Amino acid sequence: MNSISRTLIALTLAAMAASSFAATSVKATVNGMVCAFCVQGIEKRLSKLPATQAVHVDLKQKVVVVEAKDGQTLDAKAITAEIIDAGYDVIKLETVQQSAAEIKAGMKGGK
Amino acid sequence: MKRSAVSMTLALCLGAANAAPMGFKDSVMTMGDFSQSWRESWVNYAFSARDAVGLGGIDMRSDDKSRSRTLVELNYTRLLKRWNLEHAQANVWLFAGVGTIQGNDFSGSRFAYTPGLQVDFETTRVYLAASARLYRASGLNHDFGSLRVGFSFYEVDYDQTQPWLVLEARRMRGLSDKTEITPMLRLIHNRYFVELGVNNSRQARANFMYVF
Repeated sequence: MNSISRTLIALTLAAMAASSFAATSVKATVNGMVCAFCVQGIEKRLSKLPATQAVHVDLKQKVVVVEAKDGQTLDAKAITAEIIDAGYDVIKLETVQQSAAEIKAGMKGGK
Repeated sequence: MKRSAVSMTLALCLGAANAAPMGFKDSVMTMGDFSQSWRESWVNYAFSARDAVGLGGIDMRSDDKSRSRTLVELNYTRLLKRWNLEHAQANVWLFAGVGTIQGNDFSGSRFAYTPGLQVDFETTRVYLAASARLYRASGLNHDFGSLRVGFSFYEVDYDQTQPWLVLEARRMRGLSDKTEITPMLRLIHNRYFVELGVNNSRQARANFMYVF
């Protein structure tokens, strides 16, 4: 096996390992979020969910991100219900393989 | 003495501005609005996303300081309608309160009822609100109305403090013959809400809100 093949195999294994340890987050697009003081209910309620590792709220992008704890699965229906109980409307929900911090950094970079 | 005790109790309960008058489901919100002739405090509990019950009161006096009123009431707040838009939110709120009112120009306490409405519209940069409240009791009519307009200087991230300039005009029947106009600096953070200003009678005003 030449060095190029060994490098390719190593990179493939590294990529697989990285993806298997990637954080899972639920990213919700929420209508009505205009005021940090009013939106704090979303953060407080979602932070109390048992599978929640971290919550990130972005008022400018109208996005709420909930990151799952390692090995745990977020309940999309529960997240939607909590946001509605906080007084807002969820218009889009998607699961992404990124941490809340990574999404936050990406949004800041995109501004 | 009794009135002072009530005022102190209400002040300790904290309290009140004119933004959303209740927090999220299962939250407790405290509000306060304080100036020399108007001291208002509330605490309420949101038992649903649209309903809250609370205890509050107002200590107010006339412009010439000759007459004063102290109202203590149980209050129900209902979010009648909310429009959650992509970049804005609009609300219609209903208030219903019952309690007792005391004054220095009549003896004893009178049963008081205080229905009201508030409509507001807010984006991350603009705020508009109008509210009307009836403060009625036997032989008393202190109906109240207010208008608020405001703008923020810039948008901020969720965990940063956002400064606003808010202008409020309010008027109450029976105690004051003039419209109180107050420019205020509003600071909004995800943990607190504070407004500070000086009205057209050169009286300092301070409003605040906190949600537990």
